[in-house]
Amino acid sequence: MTDLDLVARNLWRKPLRTILLIISILVAFLIFTILIGFNFAYERSLDESSRANRLVVNNKINFTESLPYAYFNRIARAPGVTDATHASWFGAFYQDQRTSRFVGFAVDPESYLRVYAEQILMPEEQKQAFIRERTGVIVGRDLAEKYGWRIGDTIPISSNIFSQRDGSRAWDMKVVGIFSGARPSDSTTALYFQYAYYNETITFGRDQIGSVSLLTTGPEANDATARAIDAQFANSSAETATVDEKTFSRSFLQQAGDINFIITLVVSAAFAAILMIVGNTMVTAIRERTNEIGVLKTIGFSSPRVLRMVLGESVLLSLIGAGAGVVLGGLALKALESQAPFGALDLEPVVVAMAFAIAVLLGLLTGLIPAVSALRMSIIEALSRR
Amino acid sequence: MAAILRQTGAVIAMNVRSIPQRLWMSIATMVAIALVVAVLLGFLALANGFRQTLAGSGSDDVAVVLRKGSNSELNSVMVRDQIRLLGAAPGIALGADGKQIISSELFVIVDGVKRSTGSKANMPLRGLGAPGLTVRRQARIREGRMFSPGTNEIVVGAGLLREFSGFELGKTIRFGTSTWRVVGVFEAPGTVFESELWADAAVVQSLFNRGVSYQTVRVQLTGPDAMPAFLDFVARDPRLQGLEATSESGYYQAQSERSGFLIRFIGWPLGVMMAIGALAGALNTMYSSVSSRSAEIATLRIIGFSGFSAFMGTMAESLVLSALGALLGVAIVAIFFNGMSASTLGAGFTQVAFRVELGPQILLQAVIVALLIGFIGGVFPGWRAARQKPLAALSA
Repeated sequence: MTDLDLVARNLWRKPLRTILLIISILVAFLIFTILIGFNFAYERSLDESSRANRLVVNNKINFTESLPYAYFNRIARAPGVTDATHASWFGAFYQDQRTSRFVGFAVDPESYLRVYAEQILMPEEQKQAFIRERTGVIVGRDLAEKYGWRIGDTIPISSNIFSQRDGSRAWDMKVVGIFSGARPSDSTTALYFQYAYYNETITFGRDQIGSVSLLTTGPEANDATARAIDAQFANSSAETATVDEKTFSRSFLQQAGDINFIITLVVSAAFAAILMIVGNTMVTAIRERTNEIGVLKTIGFSSPRVLRMVLGESVLLSLIGAGAGVVLGGLALKALESQAPFGALDLEPVVVAMAFAIAVLLGLLTGLIPAVSALRMSIIEALSRR
Repeated sequence: MAAILRQTGAVIAMNVRSIPQRLWMSIATMVAIALVVAVLLGFLALANGFRQTLAGSGSDDVAVVLRKGSNSELNSVMVRDQIRLLGAAPGIALGADGKQIISSELFVIVDGVKRSTGSKANMPLRGLGAPGLTVRRQARIREGRMFSPGTNEIVVGAGLLREFSGFELGKTIRFGTSTWRVVGVFEAPGTVFESELWADAAVVQSLFNRGVSYQTVRVQLTGPDAMPAFLDFVARDPRLQGLEATSESGYYQAQSERSGFLIRFIGWPLGVMMAIGALAGALNTMYSSVSSRSAEIATLRIIGFSGFSAFMGTMAESLVLSALGALLGVAIVAIFFNGMSASTLGAGFTQVAFRVELGPQILLQAVIVALLIGFIGGVFPGWRAARQKPLAALSA
């Protein structure tokens, strides 16, 4: 019988207690995997949905304020800018605005498809149709599936901001393309239609655009380009704020709340609870075996060997619980994927590695007190204690 | 019957008094339950505070008029002719000057910096006239003074000031090309108005290129009973077909109902998961309590105590531990989080500052979860205590 067998048998001497401990540990790692995994996916989606050399120009007052259309051409000609496009928020919905609101922008088709080429994937002939067709609209695959829209359909899209000059609030748009995102799992629930169509039918806000997106010659040119653009419009009727896309998305998402702070707090609480439970149970479990440890020492087990066995037991317990928790957490993330506002919720290898490291640490920590007391114990003392 | 009660009482007292013998295990269980309660209660109190702020914002005798379908003040646009027509509606209260109290307002979004994250956030800047203050009786100036009509002066809500930087009293702010000075701080406790900036409507119109348009209208009615007639008038008048009126309390109530996301998708699932972990800990503690007292229980059974009393003793011990844990959890939230200021993006697409708020209903929910852990954690070990064979236990 090897030491490992002995450790395993010790672990299962009271199966119910061990199973309960494993459940406690499992829950802590399940919470860890889901929350940290979610956070990683969120960070990754920020990275992937933004290109390092793509900047966004908004009105300096706030991104809900518009910019004059004339700015677009001036920005496109600014030093360091290789390409530019613009987009205007439409407040789009289909039939009932309580249940069917989605992201909808009026854009300049040709330049938008260039600047966001990696995010809007569709066949070349659909791209050409979008550029050609004045009332054309391209819709994300998920959105098209949800409402059963097909290419060639004419659909009424309403706005909660604008109305047409004839008083109607629905725009008839012809589906000319259905696009998918950069990754197959990316959620595609947006639609884009022609700015020209939008601009000539709205009753107010004409010749205004929501924002300008542009590509620079490279990330190293970002700062200089942003400064040059903002300086160009300083003291004009609409001053601009130019930032890289990732910074913009992050500050937008942070409006909801300090996500990192909440996740840290909750994960710490879960681990603190589990540390208390497992640590105390391990102490009791080892104390029950004081006599046995005395016997082991009598028949020649060295103190360090006993120490290793006790620590081995607590680390093994921790790893079993953590492994199960991470596996369950990975499954839970997959199940939550359709609810998440951003792409795939894969279990990142780095999350698994972090969980492993924490599990080993938890095992060592919970085993430490009983292990040290087992180490210190003299044989006489151990054998006489009841 | 009386004998059973007496027996049970004696065993319960014995059990509870023996808790210190298993001090560390009992404390571990208590702390675990306390953390479950604290996490769950934290989320519930966060959501509760937000909901209370929205629910407390509206008055029953003020009507909000928006462009039909706009759903929020930001998306709404109205012209002066439409507003003039509203004056013909029944039930509008008269001000001290004898004029109808109709407040035409603008609602624009400007950038502020959130103190907790340092990132940009949406602040509502409301353009108001004199009636704007009459329809908001909760508001009063706390420091400085009100803005003077026709000037680039601004007053800031106390909630906004707490959560966001850049709007301190006396500061000069630039929105685009216009420069504004903060001349006062107002408070309107427990309402969303505290998260707003207020300035003169005419100045906002000209500096934000809004021409002569407004975005929303608030109408002070003679009383809550005048509301149905007013809403009916707006709904029926053919010249007002582009508009839509609601009571202000109903308007914010509807927004508060859409705010359950935090609890439904994070608070409860997390609370339940942690409760399962704590339950495993509680069961372990109670099983070891039963096994460490097996000789004691056996002795009691032999001298005539019932199995039921052994069960109840274990159950009571478990419930006491979970009740203490619940108490500790509530104390953690009450001391460290209750009243804490927080902010999030509200339905109006602007930040709403609110305070974390405990309430009787959510306290009850959290305590029930804790006692449920205690109950389940006591049933199975209690069952083992009641069923254990006395002689076998003594000879072991």
